[in-house]
Amino acid sequence: MTDKKPDPRRPDETFEPFEATRRIPWPVYSIAIALAIWGVIMLVQTSTAVQVADKAQTEAAKQEPTKLAQAAAPDLDAGKTLFADNCATCHGDAGEGVTGAFPPLHGSDIVKLGGAKAVTQIVMRGIGGKLNVNGESYEGEMPAFGSVLSDTEISEVASYVATGLNDDAKTISAPEVADIRKVAGDMDPLDGGAGLAGLINNLPAQPESAAAEKGPGSERVAQLVSQGSGTVWACASCHGDKGEGTETVPRLAGLPAPYLAKQLHDFQKGTRPNDSMAYVAKGLSDQEIVELANYYATMTSPSGAKPSLEGDLKRGAQLAKEGDWSIGVPACFTCHGPSGVGVAPNFPGIAAQQPAYVAHQLAMWAGGARHNSPLGLMAGIGKALNDADRRAVADYLASLAPMPAMDKTELAAMESNIPVREGVDQ
Amino acid sequence: MQITETLGLLLALSFVISLLALTILIWAIANKQVHTPDADDARTIFEPGEGADTDAPNDPHHFNAARAGIDASSSSVVMWLIAAAVFWLIYGSLHGLAASLELHLPDLMSGTAQMTFGRMRTVHLNSVAYGWASQGGLAAVCWILPRIFRTELRMTGLLKTGIVLWNIGLAAGVFAIANGWTDGLEWLEIPWQIDIVLAAGAACFVAPLIATAKHRNVHHIYVSGWYFLAAVLWFPVLFVIANIPGVHHGVEQATMNWWYAHNVLGLWLTPLGVGAAYYFIPKIIGKPVYSYALSLVGFWALALFYSQVGIHHLIGGPVPTWLVTLSVVHSVMMFVPVIAVAINQHVTVAANLWALKESIPLRFISFGAVMYTLASFQGSIEALRSVNTITHFTHYTVAHAHLGAYAFVSLVLMGVIYQVVPRATGKYWPFPRMIAWHFWLNVIGFAIYFFSLTIGGVLQGLAQLDATKPFADSVTLLKPYLEGRSLGGGLMTLGHVLLVINLIAIGFAKKTRETETENMVAAE
Repeated sequence: MTDKKPDPRRPDETFEPFEATRRIPWPVYSIAIALAIWGVIMLVQTSTAVQVADKAQTEAAKQEPTKLAQAAAPDLDAGKTLFADNCATCHGDAGEGVTGAFPPLHGSDIVKLGGAKAVTQIVMRGIGGKLNVNGESYEGEMPAFGSVLSDTEISEVASYVATGLNDDAKTISAPEVADIRKVAGDMDPLDGGAGLAGLINNLPAQPESAAAEKGPGSERVAQLVSQGSGTVWACASCHGDKGEGTETVPRLAGLPAPYLAKQLHDFQKGTRPNDSMAYVAKGLSDQEIVELANYYATMTSPSGAKPSLEGDLKRGAQLAKEGDWSIGVPACFTCHGPSGVGVAPNFPGIAAQQPAYVAHQLAMWAGGARHNSPLGLMAGIGKALNDADRRAVADYLASLAPMPAMDKTELAAMESNIPVREGVDQ
Repeated sequence: MQITETLGLLLALSFVISLLALTILIWAIANKQVHTPDADDARTIFEPGEGADTDAPNDPHHFNAARAGIDASSSSVVMWLIAAAVFWLIYGSLHGLAASLELHLPDLMSGTAQMTFGRMRTVHLNSVAYGWASQGGLAAVCWILPRIFRTELRMTGLLKTGIVLWNIGLAAGVFAIANGWTDGLEWLEIPWQIDIVLAAGAACFVAPLIATAKHRNVHHIYVSGWYFLAAVLWFPVLFVIANIPGVHHGVEQATMNWWYAHNVLGLWLTPLGVGAAYYFIPKIIGKPVYSYALSLVGFWALALFYSQVGIHHLIGGPVPTWLVTLSVVHSVMMFVPVIAVAINQHVTVAANLWALKESIPLRFISFGAVMYTLASFQGSIEALRSVNTITHFTHYTVAHAHLGAYAFVSLVLMGVIYQVVPRATGKYWPFPRMIAWHFWLNVIGFAIYFFSLTIGGVLQGLAQLDATKPFADSVTLLKPYLEGRSLGGGLMTLGHVLLVINLIAIGFAKKTRETETENMVAAE
C-alpha cells in the first residue's frame, strides 16, 4: 500500500460497464467500403486468371493428338531444316561427311540398308567408336539426340536422311519413332559399327567392338559408385545409376576426368563449399578420386535433363552461342566447347546438364559461395547474369544433346595432369 | 472429398454473403433500426424485495455484484481455473524458453528425445494455448458473465468436473507429445484418443455458461457477453471437427489444419481477450465504451469474416489459387472489426490516462488491447501475397504469433488475474510491487523478443529469396536474433515467476475484507 491519495475520478466498485450511444465514425464506413471493393476486385481477378490458365491447359491438351496425327506423313522440308540445324555441323551440309571422323550420310550403304529405322536408333541413342561406311573407316562420337528432338522431329529428320539423301523410299512416322523410344530411349549409345549388328540385316563388315578394357580397380570403383563405403555414400544414390543427376545434383557422365578430380579435391579442401560433398570427398583417397573421375569421364548416358525453369530459350541460346557483350558476358561455348560439350581439362561439358544445377551454380558464382573457377572467370559471368538469364541459359543447355563420352586414349593422356591434393588451386 | 468448383463457389459466396450481412447491419444501425440499449434495458430487473438493491438505485449503471452473491457463486470456479492456468503458463514458458535456447545452442539437450526441439516446442504450444490461455480466458468468462447477466453462475459442479477433465486430458496429451505420440498436425498434435477427454471437458463448460445466460436478469447483453457466448459455442465445434480421425486427407487436411489453427486464435482466444478487455477497461476507469454501434460492427464483422482467414498460411502451397485469394481477402477485411474494437476500447483509455497510473491491472489489459489492434493489422498485411513471399517460413511469423497470443491475450489475462483474484478471495496481493515488476519484465522482455524475431525474420526471408546466397546463410545470420529471443523470453518467464510467487503468497495470506465495496486497485 502506498500512501498516495486515490484519484477522485476513480469510480466506485459497483460501476458496471455500458456502451454509449454514439454513431459510427465516418472513417469506419469509408474503410469498410474501400476494403469491400478491393476484395471483390481481387476475387474477380483471380477467377479470371484461373479461367485463362484452365483454357490454355485444355487447348494444349487438345493440340497434342492433332500434332501426332499430322505427323503420320513426315514433313521432309522440316526434316531438311532440322538436318541443317543439328547434323550438318559434323556430317556436312549435303551429308558428305569428314574423312576418318564423321561418316557420310549421302549415299551411305548403312543408311540404305537400315533405312529410316536405323537412322532413328542412331539419332536417339548416339553412337561412338569405329565404324565402316562404304568400305571406309570412321571413328567419332555422336551424342544422343533423344532428349533434344521430339518424336515428330526425329521422324522428320530420319525420313529426310533416308529418302532425301539416299534413295530409300520408306519414311518413318512419329508413332513408329515413339515405339522405338519406348524400347531404346534409355539405352546406352551404340558401340560403333559392331553395335549396329542387331539392327541392320546384311551389315557390311564392321571393325571389332572396342569393348571397355577395364583398367585396374574398376571393379572397386563400380562398387564405390553403387554401394559406397564408410563415410562415402554411394555416388549413384544422388547422381543416379547413369550419372545423369537430378534437380540441383549435377550430371557427371562425360565430364572431363581432370575437372571431376579437381572438384573432389576442392570439396576436400573446402575451396568449393558443399557440406554433403565435403563429407564424402574427405573419405576418398587420391587413388579413388582418380578412378572415380575416370569412371564418370568415360560414362555415356542419355540426357536426363529438360528445360524446367520456365527460362526464355531464345535468350538462353543467345547467351550460350553469342554471349551478351552489353553486360560483358562471353558465349558459354567459347570456353565450354561447341554445343557445350566441354573442353578438357578445365572446362566441363554443360550441355544436357541439369537446369536447376546450372542455375544454382551460376547464382553461387555470383554470390561468391563458389569461387574455384580458373582465373575467377565464372564469378564475373555469374554476377552479370540476372535471375531470368540464369534460368534462360540453364534451360537452353538442358535442351542440348549430352556430351559424348571422353575418348579413352585422350583420358590416358590426361591422367598425368590430374591435380593431386597439394596441387595448384586455381 | 475434393475441393470442387461447387464447393469453391459456395466458399466464394461466403464472402459475398458476409459483405451483404455487414452492409445490412451498418444500414440498420445508421437508420436506427437496431434497438439501442437505453437506461431501462441496463437496469436490473430483479423482483422487488429479492435483495438486489443497488447502491445507487437511480443509476442503472451501478450494481453490487458482491452483495448480490454473484461473485460468491463464481469465485471458487474462477480460482480453480486461474490456478490451473498459471501452472500451465509456467510449464509452457519453461518449455518455450528451452526450445528457444535449442535454436542457437543446438547441442544443449540433444541427448534425450523428450527434450529435443520438435517436442519441446510442441509441448510449449499446447501448454500455453490449451492450458494457460484457454483456462485463463474461461476464468474471465466465469467471473464476468454472471456479473453482466446479474445472476449467479449456474451448475458450478459441472464446471469443476470440466476443469478436472480438461487438465487430465491436457496432461495426458502433453505427456504423449513428449514421448513421440502425436497426430502430427500443428495445433492438433494431441492424439485424437486423448482429445475425447478434452472434448468431454469442453462440453462441461458449455452447458453451465448457457444456463447462466438463460437465467440472466438483464435484457440487453453487454458486448463482452456476445464474445464470450460465441467463443464458448465456436470452440467445441472447431475442436471436434478438426480432431475427427480419418476424415481429412492430403491437401484438404492441410486446409482444414490451418482453418482450425487460425480459428483457435480468432474465434476462441481473441473473443476471450477482447471480451475481457471490453469489460475491465470501462469497469476500472468508470466510463462507458465509446459506441454501442461500433460494438455491433466489431463483433459481427469478426463473426462473418474470420472463419476463412487461416488458409493464407498455404500461400504458395498446392491449394487452389482462388481459395487462397478468398482467404487473403477475408484476412484484409479483418481491418473492419479491429478498427471498430480499437475505437471503442482505446478512446476510453486515451481520455482517461490517469487510470493507467492508478491501476496496474488496467495497464496489463489496456496494453494487451493495443497489442490486439497491432497484431491484427500486422496479420492482415502479412496475409498479402507480396508480404507473405518474404515472411513465410521465417521467424517473422513466430514474432507475429506471439504478438497476438502473448502481448494481447496473455497480458489481458494477467491483468484479469491481478484484478479478479483479490475480489474473488477477499485478500490483498501480498507483494504489490512485484506486480509492477512483472508488468515491466513482460513488456521489456516482449519488446526484445518481438523486435529480434521481426528484424531477424525479414533478413532471413530476404536471404532465402536471394538465389546467390547458400541456404545456410539464412540460418547463420539468425543467430544473434535468436539469442535476443531467448533473452526476451527469459525476462518474460521471470515475470511469470513473480506472478506465481504472489499467487502462492495470497493463498497463505489472511482474509482482510468481507465485501468489496471499495475499489481495490491492485498495486496499492
